[in-house]
Amino acid sequence: MRQVSGILDRGLLRLWLQLSLACLLLVFAVGAGDVSGRYNALGHQMICTCGCNQVLLECNHVGCTVSTNMEGELRAALDRGDSDHVILRDFVNKYGPTVLAAPTGTGFNRVAWIAPGIVFLLATLGTALLIRKWRLHTVAMPAETAADEKTAAIRARIRRETEI
Amino acid sequence: MAAFGSFAILLGLVLCAYNLLAGTVALRQIAVHPDSTAMPERLAETARRAGIGSFVALTCAAFALVYCSFTNNFSVSYILHHSNRALPLPYKFAALWSGQEGSLLLWAWLLAGYGFVLRLRHKVDVKLTAYASTILAGIQIFFTLLLVFAAPPFALVQGAVPADGFGLNPLLQYPEMVIHPPMLYLGYVGFSVPFAFALGALMMRYPGEKWIHITRRWTMVTWLFLTFGIFLGAHWAYSVLGWGGYWGWDPVENASLMPWLTGTAFLHSVMMQEKRGMMKAWNVWLIFVTFMLTILGTLLTRSGLVSSVHAFAESSIGSWFWTFEVITLSVCLFTYLRNRDHLRTEHQIESLVSRESSFLFNNLVLLAACFTILWGTLFPIISEYVQGNKVTVGPPFYNRVAVPIGIFLLFLTGIGPVLAWRSTSFKSVRKNFILPTAAGVLTAVVLMAAGMRPWTDVGTLYSLMAFSLAALVTTAIASEFWRGARVIQRHTGKNLLFSVVQLTRRNTRRYGGYLVHIGVVIVFIGLAGSAFNRSKEREMGFHDSMSIGPYRLVCQSYTQDSNANYDSEYELLNVYQNGKFLLRMSPERRFYHASQQTETMVADHSTLQRDLYVVYEGKNPDTDQPIIKVFINPLVAWIWIGVIVMALGTLLALVPNMSAAQGTAPSRRPPVRAEEGIPQAAGVGD
Amino acid sequence: MIFAACAVLLIGIFIYVFYPQRKAEEQTQKTRLEFLRERKDVVYENLRDLNFEYRAGKYPEEDYAAQRAALENEAAQIVAEIDFLEGDVHAA
Repeated sequence: MRQVSGILDRGLLRLWLQLSLACLLLVFAVGAGDVSGRYNALGHQMICTCGCNQVLLECNHVGCTVSTNMEGELRAALDRGDSDHVILRDFVNKYGPTVLAAPTGTGFNRVAWIAPGIVFLLATLGTALLIRKWRLHTVAMPAETAADEKTAAIRARIRRETEI
Repeated sequence: MAAFGSFAILLGLVLCAYNLLAGTVALRQIAVHPDSTAMPERLAETARRAGIGSFVALTCAAFALVYCSFTNNFSVSYILHHSNRALPLPYKFAALWSGQEGSLLLWAWLLAGYGFVLRLRHKVDVKLTAYASTILAGIQIFFTLLLVFAAPPFALVQGAVPADGFGLNPLLQYPEMVIHPPMLYLGYVGFSVPFAFALGALMMRYPGEKWIHITRRWTMVTWLFLTFGIFLGAHWAYSVLGWGGYWGWDPVENASLMPWLTGTAFLHSVMMQEKRGMMKAWNVWLIFVTFMLTILGTLLTRSGLVSSVHAFAESSIGSWFWTFEVITLSVCLFTYLRNRDHLRTEHQIESLVSRESSFLFNNLVLLAACFTILWGTLFPIISEYVQGNKVTVGPPFYNRVAVPIGIFLLFLTGIGPVLAWRSTSFKSVRKNFILPTAAGVLTAVVLMAAGMRPWTDVGTLYSLMAFSLAALVTTAIASEFWRGARVIQRHTGKNLLFSVVQLTRRNTRRYGGYLVHIGVVIVFIGLAGSAFNRSKEREMGFHDSMSIGPYRLVCQSYTQDSNANYDSEYELLNVYQNGKFLLRMSPERRFYHASQQTETMVADHSTLQRDLYVVYEGKNPDTDQPIIKVFINPLVAWIWIGVIVMALGTLLALVPNMSAAQGTAPSRRPPVRAEEGIPQAAGVGD
Repeated sequence: MIFAACAVLLIGIFIYVFYPQRKAEEQTQKTRLEFLRERKDVVYENLRDLNFEYRAGKYPEEDYAAQRAALENEAAQIVAEIDFLEGDVHAA
């Protein structure tokens, strides 16, 4: 019986793996598709450098020539057929690292992404340990103490007074 | 009038200083010689009155500034820079908080106002209020000191006085801007009160948890103000900035969200202390941190440490805030270390599956969210320090890191209410969870059948999760109401509706809280809509048209106008939905004379399904034709509805419980000192 | 004019703050009895809550019995001490 369930589990696991792989591939397939999709995606990975701090494609800074130029450059690069990586690298070279709307996944910048996760994990672990410790320390209350007459009367009163 | 204002601020400072000094001396004497003469109590009374007096003085100062604004007194530098003759009256009033000096005065005044109410209601607990009042006076001193030395609002213009002012930043010339900052400040400032009570209670080793009961309403009202403030800001950004969104993860926005998150955590975990005497040290630190975060936000943005679009008021007062933050932390740390044995917990968690542990996880997640935002806000500075160059931490970072946390939080919103205090057996959890889980799964299936493809991109996946969790949480809360109402129904024999009302009145805080959760769910539904935003931009001359979603927009005309305050350009657009005329919209762009700045006025047609959001971007200089950008933002209206539900829930939670209102717990005899020589004291209390 | 306004404000507040009070509000230390009554209210509230949640189907029978007993013990201790103190007050 246990063997059967083991096989079933393994089968399920494989199915899950296959499914997640398919999803992942699909994500990339769709992401790499059309030029306007790439324009939109890249335009949201950079910010306008005029000082308005807005995402490049969302910069509505009235009369902002910076974002118009940058958008033009992005379109030209896409028309040239540059890859996403090359486009972003060229923008960083031209405008500095602050042009990217989020830290990259390399070098020290990786810390930006990892730290919240690590803190969250550590905190969860800490909380779980804390709860475990507390539970181990909990002493079971005696259900009914040996009731003398007075205590019984008090109990009865409490019960009467706390009825809903 | 400027002289009067300056004098009033100075007087306020003196009164606060007196309150702090006399209050400290009196409290010290009472603590050292508890049964001495009535002298220290009289001294404490003068301190309290000085605190009340400081409110009167600062009210006079605030009045003086508004008066200067109304009378166009441009000899006052602040008025010169933030107003002009043609400015409409409400904005002249709003000039009080549209610059640094004014907003600090508003802050100090609101603080004094909270202190005023607290000091008037001192009979709730004279001694505890005396401590809180003295601590509050300390905070007041900081803000009045700023007003006297670092940012005097009544500083005069050097040399000749110009005939007209430089005007108010046009971004601030919007009705909501008149109420958004005071709301936000009411929220920020309000946390000073529970902070003062918590610190005071710890200093005096206050027996029992009554201080939580006393501050409960303060905390809830403050939280409500902060919530309202944040969402009004979001709505303002949406309606004024014209980029089609409401939240840009700007440092100033983050600064308002951080104390909100810790404050929300405090509101939850403090219930564990009130009901079960648990988590005392944790709660004290939560409120300390919340207070310090309200200051940190101002520190970060005002000191120019992080750059922000909200740089309405950048200056050198950062060092003042640093100093204050360090002093606050030292006082908190010192008091905590001295009295930490007072915060021993009385009960401990009995089960992993309990309301308590769900609160613990709720706190964990809220604090993780707060840390993430703080981390993102500070990372550019850290990066500059470590690798020598600044980096941008913008929306993509937060969307990837904070959104999953938000979704987990939404999940907890549904789980918490279903769990019982102390412990819940897995059997009853399973029983109570079947229906909500089924609702969640069903929603996901229906949405996917209707064409939602969560595997195409991560935004859609999050949206799908948000929608199905929304169904789960709503069902969980509804079944919670239903189960409770059934008990009442069996008890009274009345109908279900009556029972629900009765149920809510019996425990307004709990069921009001559930209503707030429903509000949060509705807000999340609105947020989830953003995964499906669309936009289009094109030049639109006479009779040109553009189609987006179910709408077709046709240009009727475009023209310009002018008045004393601004020139404007706008376009009249006829909007057709599925071929039928729907309405006429007129997106606009204004050029304000006094400030020489431009500003967009968004035209927004909002329905429950979606917003049609139209922006006049300007004219193409080559063709002289207007460029129009149109956004379709699904479900945005739900965000604002959700906030209203949250507000209603909070208001409901503020109503006293029915049984409490009828006075089930009368205090029968006058108090008698009886601390000593009591048998059986062990095991009860602290 | 401004000078007069400043003077009125100053004098007014000064009188308000330092006007001799016949009886200042007493800063009493909370008594044990008050403290116990607060505690009793809290434990009673917890008991009512427990009863209610039990009827709403959140606790199985055995959990409910154990928890009620624990809370009642706690309440009984408090009530006994309150009774003792009140008796003391009466005797005095």
